[in-house]
Amino acid sequence: MEPERFQETFKRLESEIQRVIVGHDEAIRKVLIAFFAGGHILLEGVPGLGKTLLVKSLSHALGISFKRIQFTPDLMPSDIVGTEVLTDNNGRREFQFKQGPIFAHVVLADEINRATPKTQSAVLEAMEEKQVTVFGESHILESPFMVLATQNPIELEGTYPLPEAQLDRFFFKLLVAPPAPDQLREILKRTTGADVSECAMVLPNDSGKLVNDMKLLLRQVMIAPPIEDYVVRLVHATQANGQNGGAANTSVKQFIRFGSSPRGAQAIILGAKGNALAEGRVHVSYEDVEKVISAALRHRIILNFQAEAENVSADQILVEVMKQVKRN
Amino acid sequence: MAPSSNLVERTRPETVVFRLSAQLGNHALWDALLFFIPPVLAALCAAFLLLQGAWVSQVVASATAVIAVGLGALAVTLRYRPRIPKLPQAAQLVDQRAGAKDHFLTLATIDLANCPEPLLSRLRQDAEELVGRVELARDFPYKVKTPMYWSTGSSLVALLLLYFLLPVAGAMIHPVSISQRLRELAEKMAQAPRLKELAEPLKTLAAKLEDAKIHPEQKQVAVQELEQKIAERRKQEEEKNNRDLLSQAADELKGAEQQQSAGGQEQQKNQSQGGGNLQSNLPKEGQGEGKQSQGSGGADGEGKMSAQSSKDMEQGKSAQGNPKEPDQDKNQQHQGDAKVNQPDPNRPGKEPDKDRAEKGQGGSKEGSGKNQASEAPPQSAPPAERFYQAGEGKDGIKGARYVTVQLPEDVAAESKGESKATKEGIGNRGRSQVPVSNVPLPAHLPNAATEKQPMPLEYRGIIR
Repeated sequence: MEPERFQETFKRLESEIQRVIVGHDEAIRKVLIAFFAGGHILLEGVPGLGKTLLVKSLSHALGISFKRIQFTPDLMPSDIVGTEVLTDNNGRREFQFKQGPIFAHVVLADEINRATPKTQSAVLEAMEEKQVTVFGESHILESPFMVLATQNPIELEGTYPLPEAQLDRFFFKLLVAPPAPDQLREILKRTTGADVSECAMVLPNDSGKLVNDMKLLLRQVMIAPPIEDYVVRLVHATQANGQNGGAANTSVKQFIRFGSSPRGAQAIILGAKGNALAEGRVHVSYEDVEKVISAALRHRIILNFQAEAENVSADQILVEVMKQVKRN
Repeated sequence: MAPSSNLVERTRPETVVFRLSAQLGNHALWDALLFFIPPVLAALCAAFLLLQGAWVSQVVASATAVIAVGLGALAVTLRYRPRIPKLPQAAQLVDQRAGAKDHFLTLATIDLANCPEPLLSRLRQDAEELVGRVELARDFPYKVKTPMYWSTGSSLVALLLLYFLLPVAGAMIHPVSISQRLRELAEKMAQAPRLKELAEPLKTLAAKLEDAKIHPEQKQVAVQELEQKIAERRKQEEEKNNRDLLSQAADELKGAEQQQSAGGQEQQKNQSQGGGNLQSNLPKEGQGEGKQSQGSGGADGEGKMSAQSSKDMEQGKSAQGNPKEPDQDKNQQHQGDAKVNQPDPNRPGKEPDKDRAEKGQGGSKEGSGKNQASEAPPQSAPPAERFYQAGEGKDGIKGARYVTVQLPEDVAAESKGESKATKEGIGNRGRSQVPVSNVPLPAHLPNAATEKQPMPLEYRGIIR
């Protein structure tokens, strides 16, 4: 695939989703980047900001299957991955695997932190291995596969916060902010009138091959060794107590319990590549890295109690880290 | 990957980065050179100046020059090497200048073998569109940095200081000799018709002053004679220029006289410190005895005693006072006084007066209490025999032979002749007779001095 075609398709998808979702342009771009990079997204924001609509619009624009799972405390793993059911096949009774909602190209795990850890962990294998195992039998999930989980940051009672291991499996964590007044006005205009606009399908129904080509092209994007080195130094700089030779700065030492894993660096580079392609370039620049670093690392650095007590966010620390680590 | 192979392999956009890198490397080299060349040149000039001024030998100057150049080269290397720009830095500069988003950085640093060709050609195409915005000569000109100005300025100042201070230092360390100045004055005088007659003696004196074989005292006498002549002539002279010349000559001669006087004293001091012979104006026999008196261990009994007395003088036993023998010392001092108060048959008539004056001076230098004690002899009986030292008896040192010590002035006066002596005698008429030595004199031989020896310089202060 030519980079130009990638950029064109990307732009069309972006603009189509933006036609439905007012604001959240950065979130839309990053969702698309994560999709083509083969990652999963954790969307965090208060209810009613259009998280679910964003995911639905994405799947519709992409022309791929979409399923939604509303996570509740009584949700069982079999409710997600599926189960064996007894069926009558021409008088012959046998167990047949009934696929759960996880078998879709785009899965919306709504309010994922409301489900029990047992159920949450059922999603883990699907996210990482792109397969599920039921009664000892593994079932491959069809590509492209993307989980978009949402969680509500305010209603924490009766919730099960995602463990670090599961958080690390999300490519990006996006914060969905409330709309600005102008954006809210636009939302009202679009959703309360007689003519409610819906997202059009950008890619044809059999777009699997095209998506895979786009994913392959994204990985081929060139990155200069100094920029790679910059990413490495950034990730090392998040290591508390200078682990692995990382030179932790004061705020990192003070507020971070654990730094980013190597998955963080992978996410940064793939995200930067996606951003470069989206901007019509075939090579990564420092700016691409800096644009995706917060989304890629904010859920991978574990803050300590002091940071929570002082209301210091991961984004603030990452800004400090970026100031400390110089470009080559 | 070697840069040379890259140059062949890579096309135009990347070559801009490599060219810029080389250019910045040259800039760094120039920076280092301009920073260190001025001090090195200053060092070379300094070596040349020192060589010209005969401060250092040719070998030292050459070695200094070689070391300066070597150190300069080392400093340039040490400063230049860390400042050679790396390829990514050069690429980023090109990116900044061209408004590119790390196109040149990627092209210059990426491993081309692992790059998909379509993407690479696309990147090159993008970079080529941007490369036109960069012109190396215009965008990256060489600018002389501030430290270079400092280096040049300080080197220049140092060199100028050296250039101007060297002659001053030279004049301070190696001043023009008095004889040279006298010669110059003689030449000037020779041009003045009325002073022509003084020019020749002045030249002769200059030559005499340079002659190492002539004794300083003789030189001093010659200087004094000419000084007198010039003084007389100066009184008679009416023309201002001539008077000025004569004044200059008088000043120079005064300086020469002081120099000779100091030189003579120095010579005597060196002789006495170095254990050399006491210089004597006595006949050879007397000189031999003088040698013995320095403790050369001669068999002659008199010599031995003399040596003993000289030893005592050196140790300050007799005059300075031995705490164990205060009375004896006092007696001896008193005896000494008694001796010098008597007229010395071997000395001219002026001597008693002079000695008296010297005593008066010496008395003020020595502790007053002690002097008073020695001047007022005790009326009691002589000390018991147990207080005598080896070789001493009731009458002082047994078998001692005494010398009359002559001060250098006295010697000079004697050599000048009768007129001078008479003059001094008149001048020193008011002086009291003082002991010319702190050697104890036996009571029964108050004026037993048989020899004359120049007074060692270190004792002059004591006597006066």
